[in-house]
Amino acid sequence: MQKKMAYSFPDEVLEQVFSFIQSDKDRNAVSLVCKSWDEIERWCRRKVFIGNCYAVSPRMVIRRFPEVRSIKLKGKPHFADFNLVPDGWGGYVLPWIAEMAGAYPWLEEIRLKRMVVTDESLELIAKSFKNFKVLVLFSCEGFSTDGLAAIAASCKNLRELDLRESEVDDLSGHWLAHFPETCTSLVSLNISCLRSDEVSFSALERLVGRCPNLRSLRLNRAVTLDKIANILRRAPQLVDFGTGYYAAELQPDVFSNLAGAFSSCKELKSLSGFWDVVPAYLPALYSICPRLTSLNLSYATIQSPDLIKLVSHCPRLQRLLVLDYVEDSGLEELASSCKDLQELRVFPSDPFGAEPNVSLTEQGLVAVSLGCPKLRSVLYFCRRMSNAALVTIAQNRPNLTRFRLCIIEPKTPDYLTLEPLDVGFGAIVEHCKDLRRLSLSGLLTDHVFEYSGTYGKKLEMLSVAFAGDSDLGLHHVLSGCESLRKLEIRDCPFGDKALLANAAKLETMRSLWMSSCAVSFGACKLLGQKMPKLNVEVIDETEPPDSRPESCPVDKLYIYRSVAGPRFDMPPFVWTMGEAVRILH
Amino acid sequence: MELQLGLALPPPPLIPIETFDLNSYGNYETREALGTNALSWPLLKLGPADNDINNIHHHNSSSSSSSSGGGAGCKKRSFDEAPVFDEKRNVPKTLHLLLWTNQPNDEDDDPSNVLHENSSSAIFKNDGEGLVGWPPVKTWRKKVHHQIPNGGAENNRLPAVENGIGGRASKSTYVKVKMEGVPIARKIDLSVHHSFEGLTNTLMRMFGISDGNRKSFKLTYQDREGDWLLAEDVPWRTFIRSLKCLKLIRSRG
Repeated sequence: MQKKMAYSFPDEVLEQVFSFIQSDKDRNAVSLVCKSWDEIERWCRRKVFIGNCYAVSPRMVIRRFPEVRSIKLKGKPHFADFNLVPDGWGGYVLPWIAEMAGAYPWLEEIRLKRMVVTDESLELIAKSFKNFKVLVLFSCEGFSTDGLAAIAASCKNLRELDLRESEVDDLSGHWLAHFPETCTSLVSLNISCLRSDEVSFSALERLVGRCPNLRSLRLNRAVTLDKIANILRRAPQLVDFGTGYYAAELQPDVFSNLAGAFSSCKELKSLSGFWDVVPAYLPALYSICPRLTSLNLSYATIQSPDLIKLVSHCPRLQRLLVLDYVEDSGLEELASSCKDLQELRVFPSDPFGAEPNVSLTEQGLVAVSLGCPKLRSVLYFCRRMSNAALVTIAQNRPNLTRFRLCIIEPKTPDYLTLEPLDVGFGAIVEHCKDLRRLSLSGLLTDHVFEYSGTYGKKLEMLSVAFAGDSDLGLHHVLSGCESLRKLEIRDCPFGDKALLANAAKLETMRSLWMSSCAVSFGACKLLGQKMPKLNVEVIDETEPPDSRPESCPVDKLYIYRSVAGPRFDMPPFVWTMGEAVRILH
Repeated sequence: MELQLGLALPPPPLIPIETFDLNSYGNYETREALGTNALSWPLLKLGPADNDINNIHHHNSSSSSSSSGGGAGCKKRSFDEAPVFDEKRNVPKTLHLLLWTNQPNDEDDDPSNVLHENSSSAIFKNDGEGLVGWPPVKTWRKKVHHQIPNGGAENNRLPAVENGIGGRASKSTYVKVKMEGVPIARKIDLSVHHSFEGLTNTLMRMFGISDGNRKSFKLTYQDREGDWLLAEDVPWRTFIRSLKCLKLIRSRG
């Protein structure tokens, strides 16, 4: 017997074992064990996640993983959501689709976030992948309902079509009719982003009616309240439902029809939509409220009393998205009624108003932090904050993993002491040891960054605006936050020193965004030249950076690690710094 | 007393950052170099940046959203001048909200650095449109809100007596008013007006337009869809429900 036998499993056995390993991190670890494991693993990797579509080229992915069935790609940096990334910057998916069309004929799933998708891409998807099942376009743009029609018509086994938050050129509601009568496979359909007032309602009804596995349906505003009952009655198995327009003249028969339809949905756990809500119709939901775990009322312009009434019927609520009309009183009610709450997002109803239009302050958040022991994720827009409140929140909820606070007026100090909010945020990073995501706001000095660097060891994503005093702040973060992957900064006095001193750190991160800071063009060039594994992109819509002295700060800077080298699809206002490529443009 | 929140950048603290060595940029663990095992002071005590300086000029933060590259204010800096690491770090006791450097400050040269002013005006740069991308709400959320007149739900726009739905009166029934040729917008409380006559009277007074000159102005408004319309063309109720902001324009001919 050779000793070698003990070390060799047949490949098929290893493959079988590896098939139980789903997480990317674990898969990556497996591939590092030895060459043969790497080889086996790469042939059986079915799912790939690429956090930055420019970090690697499609060919490289295909070469390493020849049998992929599911791909997830992200394009533009997060600040693109707030119009900080000019149109035309990039993030095109077509090159990926084109390569995969040949290499992955059995591709089943494509999930994209912040990418530019064209009708051509959609048509190519429809044509190329015979077993295509899942298309998720999250915050994408560049396509129209024509492209959707192609998908609907060709993808015989389509299970998911999710267009959440995408910008679609809504040419005609007729695209829905392109789903053949034989299509019965839909599990999830999200068309909430479609803006036109026309939707082929009869096509929608028929589609819903013939898909017995439909679990998630999110309608758009074109679907009026009186139509909801019809839809629900055809899909009583729904788990997640997004209403359309939820306003109408109160009519008793419409109301009872609606209430009846909702009550027949015994599995319904998640609700969203609610554009233009008429409070009188909210009680139609009461029968399902006890089962609700997720409620998105972030478009619902209803006031605190109505919100309180609704929320008090939902004791199992785990996730709530709401406008600041909920006010402190609503949040206090939430804190006492919803002990299972894990995630809270409060959006501003009047983000550009100078004066507060609602009575929502730090008190609401403090109440929720006290009353909801499972609270992990917070996004909160408000107009005042205090260190005391933040310290209280931190002490109440050390289990927070995401904490995003936006005090609407930049550089607002602690309203009680007029001091910076360093200590408050410091308490958050110190107490919340598993904090992965943090957004800072208010008046902040370099100290908050020192606290973040010292305590934020698990911090993966940090968003900073109008904060800090000097390069020391940036240095603290780059040198201290060991798990940092994404850093986005705007309007802070951070310059060359910290960036250059921590250049190597940038290779361990996915990306760094800096806009309206103090990084000089010269430093960008230096970084680009010395760090070949980084793409250093300077973005300036007004004039080329080299038309000014090198010491002048660049307008926007986007640095990301890449093994694909500089990209070639940049618009005229983006320059990649680099030695070999000089100023590539 | 109004606290002046126009912050100048404090002088750069004693920065114990390793110089950027082009040959060995591998070690970014400069925390070790800083000599800190823990924060040099406990969390709750504030010890802000040192006033004792090294001489590196600090670049203008260019914190305006429309940064124009700094222009003439830019100074060339050589990275050889970066400070050498110094073990000693002073920890002064007080925090100054107003810190004025003794050194010439690049910011003074940059006229576009609006954040020198009272920071409450920061949001209203760009002609009332706000800073780009601030507050950080997604575009489609902004659109939702633009369709809602100030104060939120429709019923808030009406004066309490007309409010048949019985909703709570909003805290704010103010609308922005601009006059053609005048850069500063004003705000007017709509809840105290019930007719075009009353509204126009108030506006004329507000902008100092004499009775004689009234005829040469027309009142226009922007509705929820973003269209500009003549106020006189619609009934008062329609006007009140759909208006977002007002503008007085000079009528021609």
